[in-house]
Amino acid sequence: MAVAKTQADWELLARRSRRDRRIKHGLLIAFLTLVTIPVIVPFFWVFVISISARTGGVESDVLWRACAILVPAVFAYGVAHTAFRSVRQRIYAAVILVLLAVVGLAITVGDDLHLYNYRFMVNPNLVEELRGAATAGGQFPWVWVAFVNSLIVAATSMALKVTVATLAGYYLSRFAFRGRSQFLQGLLILEVFHPWMLTIPIFLVIFWIGLLNTLAGPILVLTAIDLPFFIFIMKGFFDAVPWDIEMSAMTDGASRRQAFRMVVLPQVRGGIIAIAVLGFIKGWEEYVFVTALRTGNSYWVMSTYLYYVAEDVMGVDYGVVAAVSVIYIIPSLALYLFCQKFLTQLTLGGVKG
Amino acid sequence: MANVELQNLTKVWDQVTAVDNINLEIRDGEFLAVLGPSGCGKSTTLFMLAGVYLPSGGDILFDGARVNDVEARSRNVGIVFQSYALYPNMNVLQNIMFPLRFQETRDAAGQAREMAELVQVGELLERRPSQLSGGQQQRVALARALVKQPNLLLLDEPLSNLDATLRLTMRAEIRRITRELAVTTILVTHDQLEATTMADRVVCMNVGRIEQTGTAEDLYLRPDTLFVAGFIGSPPINLIRLQSRQRAVLDVPDAAETVGIRPEMLRSAETGLPVTVATVEPMGRETLVTADSNLGPLRFLEATSRPKWSAGDRLHVSFQPQDTIVFDGAGQRVPDLHAAIG
Repeated sequence: MAVAKTQADWELLARRSRRDRRIKHGLLIAFLTLVTIPVIVPFFWVFVISISARTGGVESDVLWRACAILVPAVFAYGVAHTAFRSVRQRIYAAVILVLLAVVGLAITVGDDLHLYNYRFMVNPNLVEELRGAATAGGQFPWVWVAFVNSLIVAATSMALKVTVATLAGYYLSRFAFRGRSQFLQGLLILEVFHPWMLTIPIFLVIFWIGLLNTLAGPILVLTAIDLPFFIFIMKGFFDAVPWDIEMSAMTDGASRRQAFRMVVLPQVRGGIIAIAVLGFIKGWEEYVFVTALRTGNSYWVMSTYLYYVAEDVMGVDYGVVAAVSVIYIIPSLALYLFCQKFLTQLTLGGVKG
Repeated sequence: MANVELQNLTKVWDQVTAVDNINLEIRDGEFLAVLGPSGCGKSTTLFMLAGVYLPSGGDILFDGARVNDVEARSRNVGIVFQSYALYPNMNVLQNIMFPLRFQETRDAAGQAREMAELVQVGELLERRPSQLSGGQQQRVALARALVKQPNLLLLDEPLSNLDATLRLTMRAEIRRITRELAVTTILVTHDQLEATTMADRVVCMNVGRIEQTGTAEDLYLRPDTLFVAGFIGSPPINLIRLQSRQRAVLDVPDAAETVGIRPEMLRSAETGLPVTVATVEPMGRETLVTADSNLGPLRFLEATSRPKWSAGDRLHVSFQPQDTIVFDGAGQRVPDLHAAIG
C-alpha cells in the first residue's frame, strides 16, 4: 500500500514539474519576444520604408500591414516551439509559417514594394535630379565616394588601433618598467573623460599640424580615442597567455620576436578580432569628429552623407533617407554577425586583465 | 651532449637571493636530479642554465666554454616545463617540429616523426594539445625538447601534474629515453622518490644553497646536514634534540647536538627504550606507529599489515648504534659517531 502510494506521488510530481517547466519556458520566450520588439521594430521600419515609400510622405501604412502578418507569425512560431519537442517538428512549423507569412505579405503589401528609393546607388547626381543643378553647387558626391571614404577611415583607424594596442598590451603585460602601474591607471582614467569634451582642443591640434579637412584628421583622432581601452583589453588577453610557452619557444631556438609572432599572437587572436571589429565599427559610424574636423564639404563620409540627405531643406524624401540608412547599416551588421563569437570572448578576456 | 659546470652561480632578485654561490659539475651523459622544497632556487638554477634568466654572478660553462652571455635560443638546450608549455595553436607534429624550424634540417618532419615514435605518440600527430591527456602531453613535450638533439635536457617538475600510476610509468619512460639518447639531463623536482629513482646523482638544495651532492644512498644513509636528513625519507626521520633529559637516556658523544634515526631502523623489542603507543597507522605493507618516550615522540615502522598494538600500549623499542646519525651544533653530520641506548 505504502509502495503504491509513493509511486503515484512520483508520477504526479513528474507531471507537475514537466508542466511547470513548460509554462516557465513559454513565459520566458514570450517575455524575450516582447522586449525584442522595440529593438527590432525601428530597424524593420527603416527597411520597410526604404522599399515602400513613394516620394514625399512617410507611409507607415505598409509597416502596419506587414506587422499584422509578421507579429502573429512570430508568436505562432513561439507557441509551436514550446509545443513541439522534436527538432523536425519545429523545422516543419517554421517552414510552414514562413511560407504563410510570405504569401500573406505578397497579398497585403506586395504591390507597394519597389526599389526606386535605392536609385542613389546608381545615380551619381541625386541632388540635381531632385532639385535642379544649381542648388547643391556640385559638391554633393555620389554615395560610393562617401562609402569608400568611410571605409578608408574605418579600416585605417582599425589597423592603427590593432597594431598599437597589440604591441602596447604585450609590453604592458610582459615587461616590468618604472611607472607601469601608473600607466595602467592612467589608461583607465582617460576612459572617464568623454572625447567630445576635447573637441575644440582636438580641432586646434589638427589645424596646427595641418590635417584639417583631410581624412587623416578623423583617423588619428579616432585611433587615439579608442586606444586606452583597447590596450587594456589586449593586456588582459596577453596576461592569460602563460610565460612558459614563450620561454619554451625561446629555448626551442626562436628569437623573442619569433616567439611573439609564432606562439603568443595566435593565442590572442580572439582579442585582436574583437578589437578590430569594435574599432572598425567605431570608425564606420563616426559622425562628431568627421564633422568637426572639416570646414565646408572637403570630404564626405557615410554619416555626413546620410545627414545631408536627411537635412534637405527642400523637403525630406524619407524613402531615400531610409534606403541610405539600410546601405549604411549593412557592413556593421555583417561584421557583428560574423564576429559575434569573438565579441562575446571580449568580456572574458577583459575580466582576466 | 655536453659537460656542464656551474661556478659560484648566484641569482639575486630585488635583494632576495634565490641562488647563492652554487658550484656543480654535471658529467657528459649523466642524469642529475636537483631536489629541494619549493622556493629553494632549483627552478631558477634551471632557467639560468637554459638562458631564460641571466645570472647575477658566477659562470655557466658548457664543455669548458663560458655561456653566460649566450642567448637561450643558441644554447641548444631542451626544456620540459611543468605545464608542458605545448603550443596550443599547433598540432602534435608541428609542436615537435617547432625547434627544427630554426635550424638547417633536411628532413624535419621525418625526424619529428621518429622522435614521436620514440616517445610513443606516433598515432597522435594530427591532434591538438587540448585533445591529449596529461601523459600524452608530457610525451609530446619530451619529444619536442629532444628533437633538436640538445646539449642538455632540462626537466622542470615534469611529473607533478600526472596522477600516481602514470607518474610511475613516465618515470621509467623518461629514464629509458634519456639513456637511449645518452643525453645529459637535469631533473628539477621536489619529489624525493622521483629524484632517487631516476637520477645517477642527486643534488639537494635549500634556500639557494647546495646542501649535499651524492647518490640516493649517500643522501639517505649519510646525510651531510640536518636539512637533508629531514627532507629525505618518508615517513620522515626521527630527529632527537639532545637536552639533558635525552642525554640521560642515550649514550652519545659530547659534540653531538641532534641524533637522527630512520623509522625503519627502530623496532619493537623485549628490552630497550620504554615507549607508550600514541597512534597506529596501517600503511599497507607496513604499519607506522607513533609512540611517546623519554626522547620525545618517536615514529617507527613495523613490517606487518596487521598492527599488534593500539593506542596506550606500552612496549620497548631498540636500534643498532651504527644506524644512528649524529649532528653537531651547526647541523652538520659528525662522521663515525653514533648513539646508543645508555
